[in-house]
Order: sequence, then C-alpha cells, then structure tokens
Amino acid sequence: MKHFEHPRPANGMLRRLAILIAVFSMTLNWTVSAGAQAGDASDSSEYLIKAGFIYNFAKFVEWPSTAFAEPDSPIVIGVLGTDPFGDIINHVVEGKKIGARGFVIRRFKWSKELKDLKDFKECRILFVSSSEKMHFEEIVEAVKGLPILTVGEAPGFAERGGMIRLMLEDNRVRFEVNVDAAHDGNLNISSRLLTLARIISPTGALARKPG
Amino acid sequence: MFPKHPPTLAAARFVGRTMLASFMTVFLAANGVAQSQQSVPDVTALSMEDLMNIQVTSVSKRTQKVADAAAAIFVITQEDLRRSGATSIPEALRLVPGLEVARIDENKWAIGSRGFNGRFDNKLLVLIDGRSVYTPLFSGVYWNVQDVMLEDIDRIEVIRGPGATLWGANAVNGVINIITKKAKATQSGVVTAGGGNEERGSVAGRYGDKIGNDTSYRIYGKYFDWAPSQYATGGTANDGWEAQRGGFRADYTPAGSNSFTLQGDIYHSGYNETLTVPSFAAPFSSTFPNSGAYSGGNILGRWNHSSEGSSMSLQMYYDNTTLSDNSLFVDHQNLFDVDFQDGFHVGDSQQMVWGLGYRSIIDRNDPSFSVSLQPNQLTLNQFSAFLQDEISLVHSLRLTVGSKFEHNAFTGFEFEPNVRLLWTMTPNQSIWTAVSRAVRTPALTEEGLRLTNSVVPPGIPQNPTPFPALITVYGSHNFQSEDLLAYELGYRVQVTNTLSTDIATFYNSYSNLRTAEPGAPFLEGNPVPTDIVVPFVASNKMGGGTYGAELIADWKVTQKWRLVGSYSYLQMDIVKNSNSLDPTADLPNGSNPRHQWYVRSSLDLPKHFDLDNTLRFVDHLPALNIPSYYSLDAHVGWRPVPRVQFSITGQDLLNHQHLEFIPDFINTAPTIVNRAIYGSVTVNFK
Repeated sequence: MKHFEHPRPANGMLRRLAILIAVFSMTLNWTVSAGAQAGDASDSSEYLIKAGFIYNFAKFVEWPSTAFAEPDSPIVIGVLGTDPFGDIINHVVEGKKIGARGFVIRRFKWSKELKDLKDFKECRILFVSSSEKMHFEEIVEAVKGLPILTVGEAPGFAERGGMIRLMLEDNRVRFEVNVDAAHDGNLNISSRLLTLARIISPTGALARKPG
Repeated sequence: MFPKHPPTLAAARFVGRTMLASFMTVFLAANGVAQSQQSVPDVTALSMEDLMNIQVTSVSKRTQKVADAAAAIFVITQEDLRRSGATSIPEALRLVPGLEVARIDENKWAIGSRGFNGRFDNKLLVLIDGRSVYTPLFSGVYWNVQDVMLEDIDRIEVIRGPGATLWGANAVNGVINIITKKAKATQSGVVTAGGGNEERGSVAGRYGDKIGNDTSYRIYGKYFDWAPSQYATGGTANDGWEAQRGGFRADYTPAGSNSFTLQGDIYHSGYNETLTVPSFAAPFSSTFPNSGAYSGGNILGRWNHSSEGSSMSLQMYYDNTTLSDNSLFVDHQNLFDVDFQDGFHVGDSQQMVWGLGYRSIIDRNDPSFSVSLQPNQLTLNQFSAFLQDEISLVHSLRLTVGSKFEHNAFTGFEFEPNVRLLWTMTPNQSIWTAVSRAVRTPALTEEGLRLTNSVVPPGIPQNPTPFPALITVYGSHNFQSEDLLAYELGYRVQVTNTLSTDIATFYNSYSNLRTAEPGAPFLEGNPVPTDIVVPFVASNKMGGGTYGAELIADWKVTQKWRLVGSYSYLQMDIVKNSNSLDPTADLPNGSNPRHQWYVRSSLDLPKHFDLDNTLRFVDHLPALNIPSYYSLDAHVGWRPVPRVQFSITGQDLLNHQHLEFIPDFINTAPTIVNRAIYGSVTVNFK
C-alpha cells in the first residue's frame, strides 16, 4: 500500500511554517536571544526532530502486506534500550494516522528472549538506542527476516546491519540507509527518502547522494 | 572577481517572497504557535526537507553549557551587528546591557563588566574562536588589535559575572566570546568599502570556496584608517591610527563524526598618541607626540569528535603579539596553548564535561626610562583541569556544579568552583541563581614592573633632598591573586508573545585586590647617587563589595518594529584594608557609571530600507571628573538588491562632545568623542 501526500489545504503552508517556527524557536532560544527569552533551554529539540524523522520513515517505507493483520492495524514503534525520546515521541504520533493506521509506542529492554516476545515481533519500526551498541549484531540477528525497520544512532549502526542511522551534522539531522538490510526485511524504501539519504553500499564504503 | 550573474528579477522576486515568509513567521509566532508552546510542536506536518533544515542544539558545547547553566548572558547576532553600524568590536560591545565601554582616544578603549573599568582592566576574559586574547602582561586586552572581518562574525556572546569554572583565571567579572562563522557559511565573496569623518577609509574583502566535497575555506583581508580626534581643550589631537589584517579559516568535515578546523590571522596596526612621561631633569616631565605599533599573528587548529550524546575537542594555538612603543616599552610575547575537552551524558539526567589545559607564555621585553619589566625574558607554564556536572534534579530544576583547578608559576594552585541552579517555573519564566569563586592571577607587570609615574624636583617642600625623587610603582613577588566570591540571581520572563525581559542581579565580594603600598625610599646611582626612588609596591590590601542589576526588555511592537531597552545599576563599596598605606583614593568606586541605559529602535521600512536608532545615557565618573553624557546613534541600511547593501551610520548625532574616560598608569592624552558619520557599501558575489 502506497501513501501519497494529499494536496494541502491553502492554510497548510502557513501551518507548516508555524510549526517550523515553533521548533526553531526551541532550538534558537538560547543562541539568538538567550538574554531575552524565557524558554526552557534544557529541552534540546534534537529528539523532537528525530521523532519527526521516524514519523516520516513510517510514511515513506512500504511494508509487505503480511506485516499487518488488519488494514487498520497500528504501526508499532518499539524503543529498545535507554530511551532518549522520553514522552516526546508519544506526543508526536498521538492521534496521527497514516492511511487507516495509527501508532503505538512500546519500550523494551534487551534480552536474549526478546525475539520470542509477541509484543516485540509486532514492532514495525524499532528504534535501537545507542545504549545497546554492545548487542547490535544480536539485535540485527533477532529481527532478521522480520518486517521491522531498524533505526539507530550510534556510529557504524548501518554498517553493522541496521537499516537507518540518524546522525547530526552541523547541528542538523541527517540519515544514512543500508539498502541491503532493508531488502532483507522485505521493506521497500521510497526513492523520495533515498534521494535525501546517504546510502551505505554493500561493501560498506560510503557513497554520497546529492541533497 | 565580478558576479557571475547580474542580479535578476527572479532573484529580486525570491527575496520578496523570503521577506514575505519572514513577516508571516513573526505573525504566526506571535499569534498561533506560541500559545501551544506548552505542548510539543507537531513535527509530523513537516516534510523531510524541512526537518533536515532545522538546526538542533548540540549536546555539550561549552557555550551552550554556560547558557544552560544559568548566567547573565547576552548575545549580539550578526544582524544586530549589521544594524548597529559598528565598525569595530569595541563599538559593537556598546549593545551589551551593563557593559562599560568608554573610548579613551581613537585607538584605546576601557571596557569592563560590573566595575573596575580601565585601560588595563584585568577582570574580563576575551576569546576569539576559542583563542584567549588577554595579554598576560597586564591581564587585560589590547582592544585596538582584536578584530576580525565583521561580516564573518556569527555572534558575540557576553557573560557578565564570573565564568572561571569553565574559562579559568581572569574570567572574574565577565567573558566575551567572539565566534566567527564556519567556512561553510561564508562560501561567497564579499567586498565592503566605506569612509567618513572619523574612520576616513576602510576596505575589506573575503572570499570563500570549497576544495573537494569535504573542505570549505575562506580568506579575508582588511584595512582601515582613522583620522585624529580633538582634545577636550580644543585643537586636533594626535590619535589617528591604521591597521591592516588578513587571515583564513578552513574546515574539513569528512563523513562521520570527526571534523577539523585550521585558522589564522596576521596583522599590523600603527597608532599615534600624545604621551606624558616623567624625566630626570627640569621640567621633570615631557609631553610629546608618540607613536608605536602592534603586530602579530596566530594559528589555531581544532579537532572535534562528536557522536550521539558526547563530544570531544582538542584545540591548539600559537599566538604572537609584539608591542613596540617608540618611547615606552617593547614587548614580544609568544603564547602556546593546548586545550582538551570532553562532554558526555551519564545516565538520563546528568551531563558531564571535563577538560585539561596547558599554556606556555614566553615574554621578552626592552625597557625605557619610565617602564621596565624584570626579568627581561621569561617563560611561564600554566596547567589547568576542570570538571562540571549538570544534573536534572526534577524536570524543571537543573543543578550545575563544577570547579576549575589551575597551577600557575606565581601563586601555585588555584581553584574556582561554582554552583548554579536553574528553575523553570513555567514555560514562560525561569529563575536562576549561582554562587561562584573566581580568581585573578598576577600579571607579569604585577610581579616585575618598574614604572616611574612622576618625578618630584629636588629642593622643594615635598622633596627637600638634593636628588630628584622618582615616584615609582613596583611589582612584587609577594603579590597574590585577587579573589572574588560572587552571588547572582536572575529572572527571565516572556511576558507576552512579543515582550520578554531579563533581569540579572549580583553581589560580588572581593578580597586581596591590588593596592600600591609605599616602601622605604632609597638612593639610586653608582657610584654617585643620582636620584631617590620612592617605591610603591603592588600588594593585596583592598576588598569590599559591589552590587548591581542589569535589566533588558525586548518588545516586538509590530512585525517591523522592535524596541529594546536596557538599564543597569552598579554600586561599588571597595575599601582599603585598615593596614593599607596606599595614599591614592579608592579609585575603582568612582570610575564606573552607576546608571546606564539605552533605548534602541529597529524599524524595517519599505523598499528594503531599515533604520536603527539608539539613545544612550552613561552616568558621570566622579573619580575621573567625567560628566554624564547622552548619545544618539542612527543607522540606515538599504538593500536595493540582495547582494548589495548601502549603509550610513551617524554616531553621537546630538554632537554632545564629551570625554569618556581618563587613562590610568600610562599618561596619554584622552580625546573627545564627537559626531561621526560613516558610509559604506557592501557587495556579495558568486
């Protein structure tokens, strides 16, 4: 099932702009006008933006039809290990739908038995926290063959078999995609995403994509 | 070096649209979004491209640590700088609420924070891109050579109050951080040229480009020439100056988590002044036109490693500064500095940052009759380490504790701890408080200076001896660090969507401040005595308290009109200890303005004009006999096309000719500040 972006209503652009400003003001509070702003400088906007990325991944990744029991089964996002998002990710996807599907957030701690857990196997997106970097290979092994999009942050995550790695460059969020790993999970990543990503090629060498 | 494409209609239309967008921005921010700030902004409505363009706060930068750590911080942005029309860093600093900026003559400034201002102010630390620019000679700053291509400044962060835990000794009353843009952000050519009645001519150019995919660089050069001003008594002064400077910055950012920066500058600046020095024979002092030059260069390399949740940096620089005053003093200083820093998260609620530093200072100097420094050549080594932990106690309460540990050749070990607490009461208001200790370690001059201040003729009542008496200030190996214990309390509130205010208050308790204690006079000359020396020896017999408040309010009246108001109050109660015999008055108390305020209006006009007006008031300086003054400045900017900007700046338009300061220690003639007009044109190409 493909998801197309619906034409935005006339005020869509305004709304988008407004949100940009809100996010922006969170990040810029202290740099641009730290002397004058009240805002809470403690909350970095990093994970808010990363949550936005994860929502977009859900939009631009196509799962095999067998991945969902019902047409309106929710997209389960799992967070494995120390959770850097806190409540943010729950707030971001709350009430949101892609097609008929809503979202459910679940949190997991790593153990060998995890791969037999039904709740875990239902994940369609698995965010692997950097706290789990000792177990990346085991985690990759655990989800092998399952239609689970693995997203991580630690350097080398994509090279070590993870599908998407989010990273910071010049204080902006960028991402790299291991296309082979996604294919192994029978996931189809939209070219719209791939043109924005840095592609990790099968040999592990880095190739830059325009954009 | 011409633009590849002339400005087109499309470009103009693009800018028009961008401006429309930015107006909408302000409108929306004011009307819709801010109300929902308590909830999480709906990032799902943003496209991938939008998300990729948003800057996030990085994890453990020094600068952010301090802003987070709750301190009286103020930031001058590139836009503020442009709209102020300032053509030098000292003039730009007049935008900072509560900072004391006074021009002594065209090429000398006294800049201070929270008191103790002077040409040789020693309680303010200034850094340019992480390179400390205070001179260990007198622990102050040569303001006339601290310059960069102003268009390349990203921001100037000013912290009033101590920052010693992170920055070390000398960050006693304030820290000024001048931060230039990354080379990636200056990938174009800029040429700017201007002239006026005070700054007669200036020209500057920068060019930036890429080498391969991963390396960005820029090079710049600039030159300016200032006409002499006038004496307070009338007549043209001898305080003109000129400077030329060039430099580069290259950033190598390969894929992955490492990045490298290499940057450097060289400069030469020649200045004139009217100098009075004591002399041996009648009339025992002479006043004459003097000149001199500052020259130097620096090179800095930095390695950054950042991964999720942690960042590390290693920075090294070398800096050479040569001061050659034709009549007073020649000083060559070579400084080598290594600095390592590492920041990381501990669990979910703690952020730790620690670092190590080493600095080596090699100084060589040539004396004159009135100034000399012993020894003539020396090398000093300084070692430092710091550790700071930021702990989220509960969601709205953040505690920062840390300390710096330093070792220097003069006073041995020093430690500078602080505790800071930030309480975010509501999303719109926060309170912070801090207790910190800072020290000001001895400068070379306080150890080994001999400065003859004046000569008292022989055979008069004040000096009945047959020899001229040299009133001479001496450094001393017994001189200790000056100590500060600072208590700060601040409050920030976003009153409405368009109005925010920030209040910082402080009580500073000083001890071991410098005095000049009289010593036993002695005869000089071999084999026949030629003069009698009346020594005054650097000592630490002064202390006391200062307190004050700085308030700033920022009001966006409409989308196109912004008003900024600032008021600052300073009370100094510094007294000599009862055992001090220093005969001079308690100078620091009366040489800083008690009241300062300004109102600044920034207006966006149609047809791409913008207009800024600032009315400033600076209170009188009773100890220096300087009256209070008002100053009205104006700046008009016009961008007929995006790549061209015209600018006209008028300073002190009320033409309230005034002196701003009287120099200390070195007796140069102060000159007046009067009406100045300056026009410039800036062209971007590529």
